[in-house]
Amino acid sequence: MQVSESLRIAVANLRAHKVRSLLTVLGTVIGVMSVITIVSIIEGMNSYVSERLLEEGSNTFYVDKFGLITDYEQYLDAMNRKDLTIDDARALERNATAIEVVGSISQSRSDVRYRSREVSNVDVMGVDEGYQPARGIEVEYGRFVSREDVVRRRAVCVLGADVKDKLFAGLDPMGKEVRVGRHTFRVIGVAEKKGSLLGMSQDSNVMMPLTAFHKAFGSRSPVSLVAKARDQESLELAQDEARSILRARRKVPFSKPDDFGIMSAETFMEIYKNFTSTAYLVTVGIAGLSLLVGGIVIMNIMIVSVTERTKEIGIRKAVGARRADIMFQFLIESLILSGSGGLIGVLVGVGIALLISNVTPLPAAIKGWAIIMGLLVACGVGGFFGIYPAARAAKMDPIVALRYE
Amino acid sequence: MLMAELIEIRDVKKIYHVGTEDVHALDGITLTMRKNEYLAIMGPSGSGKSTLMNLIGCLDTPTSGSYRFNEKEVRDLSDDELARIRNKEIGFVFQTFNLLPRADAAHNVELPLIYAGIPRAERRRKVEQALEAVGLADRARHRPSELSGGQRQRAAIARALVNEPSVILADEPTGNLDTKTGEEIMQVFEKIHDAGNTIILVTHEEYIARHSGRIIRLRDGLVESDTKV
Repeated sequence: MQVSESLRIAVANLRAHKVRSLLTVLGTVIGVMSVITIVSIIEGMNSYVSERLLEEGSNTFYVDKFGLITDYEQYLDAMNRKDLTIDDARALERNATAIEVVGSISQSRSDVRYRSREVSNVDVMGVDEGYQPARGIEVEYGRFVSREDVVRRRAVCVLGADVKDKLFAGLDPMGKEVRVGRHTFRVIGVAEKKGSLLGMSQDSNVMMPLTAFHKAFGSRSPVSLVAKARDQESLELAQDEARSILRARRKVPFSKPDDFGIMSAETFMEIYKNFTSTAYLVTVGIAGLSLLVGGIVIMNIMIVSVTERTKEIGIRKAVGARRADIMFQFLIESLILSGSGGLIGVLVGVGIALLISNVTPLPAAIKGWAIIMGLLVACGVGGFFGIYPAARAAKMDPIVALRYE
Repeated sequence: MLMAELIEIRDVKKIYHVGTEDVHALDGITLTMRKNEYLAIMGPSGSGKSTLMNLIGCLDTPTSGSYRFNEKEVRDLSDDELARIRNKEIGFVFQTFNLLPRADAAHNVELPLIYAGIPRAERRRKVEQALEAVGLADRARHRPSELSGGQRQRAAIARALVNEPSVILADEPTGNLDTKTGEEIMQVFEKIHDAGNTIILVTHEEYIARHSGRIIRLRDGLVESDTKV
């Protein structure tokens, strides 16, 4: 029998039972939809995150006394470790051949005021002169924190673009005195705008000499280091060098593990990938379940359809339809049923993904492979769960079928 | 020269198992039929008419005995080969028309051609011819629900004719029609017979059977009489 005839019959039957067909494929729709939506969002975040991490500099890495902490015990343990210092930063610069520059940073949060204007909860960062080149920060105008500022513990600061905009609006901030918490700092520069990462501004900060930071906010807040390797190829060598230099400086015994942690963009990427692969698994599980249930619903409705059309099957057999013809007809029907469910699922899923990326900071990337896979899986479900009803139709006795009322 | 027999039934039995009992629907029937014959099968209900009809139509196979159709032993044929014979060699006309309700007359007539794998253009031509032959060309695009009983039966006859079968099997074709319409349908059969077709008619109406050239009466699964009209 011609495929076109099977398609014609299938489409005509589905159109004759629009509501029933729609309800039948709901499970498939939901399964495919959730896969498309979640894959789009995870993929969107993946490319976004890896892009931003690359932008951060794929040849920089971070050192602090914590490393990757997964529980409170480890945190308490790490709190007792020796702090990293500016001297460690200088030692790395001096002794590690693969490292170009090292910056030190310590952070806190505070309100920042200028006259009657106030910005609350600003990132206050104590940094040294190595921080600017290591992080690749550009200065919009004025200058960055210098070695002199650090050594002389000058009460000066560089404003992030957001803070500058909010405190000074159109005014020139240079040389003005701002209050950070209970301390006064003179503005020496404004950093270039960096934009936001996952909806969080990266420009809501104030940078000041690390020494001045410690004086104002206490020296208990731990220092971390940002090191920049000479190039991407020497990143690993740079990390190895940093490890052995720091172990020597911190007198870590040969048999003991590091009492500090080294993290690169890759490390963050790995943590992130771990997280998203879990999300993927959960999605696949949920989608698999709804597709399974959807498939069973399709099988059930196809059995109903076969029973309802017993007479039709009898007529077709009487005029010469072979088993394979009948089998094919009903298989095509369940394929089209589930396939259109898959198509609806893809459309709704893409719609939801686009909606989410428009109204929330989450990015979405619609992937061709996800769409194709969604459709294939939907058709596969229809094909698989359509076999039994179709076989039932195909092996009907024409005499019995013709007599059926 | 002796004309080849189209249908050759020798001592055919059909036994159904109903519970623990065996029902002998056909109890040893012998019957032959040539091309271009017009045969009527009569008998009270339970006489085995329908069973014989199903056997001749290759919808069923005998329990024992031999049924040769066009010199082919039907008992040896597979399911698909039986389907092929029904498609190419046999045209059914039923009492209840048995048209597909959602398809128009033309598509109903086209069905056997579709299963025969005939290309679309040729199908269209043959459907037109068949509808023309039963006088239904102007109702081709109407669904069965939009046709009168007589028109439905004409569509069914066109469907039986369209693939140029060796034999047309009509099971009580006038059973659901009023006398006048029934008579019109019998005229159609006559015309088809005159055009060279072989027809087997199952009926219990004497005046309908009179249209044929030979009447076979069944009783209790056996041939009671076989007379020329």
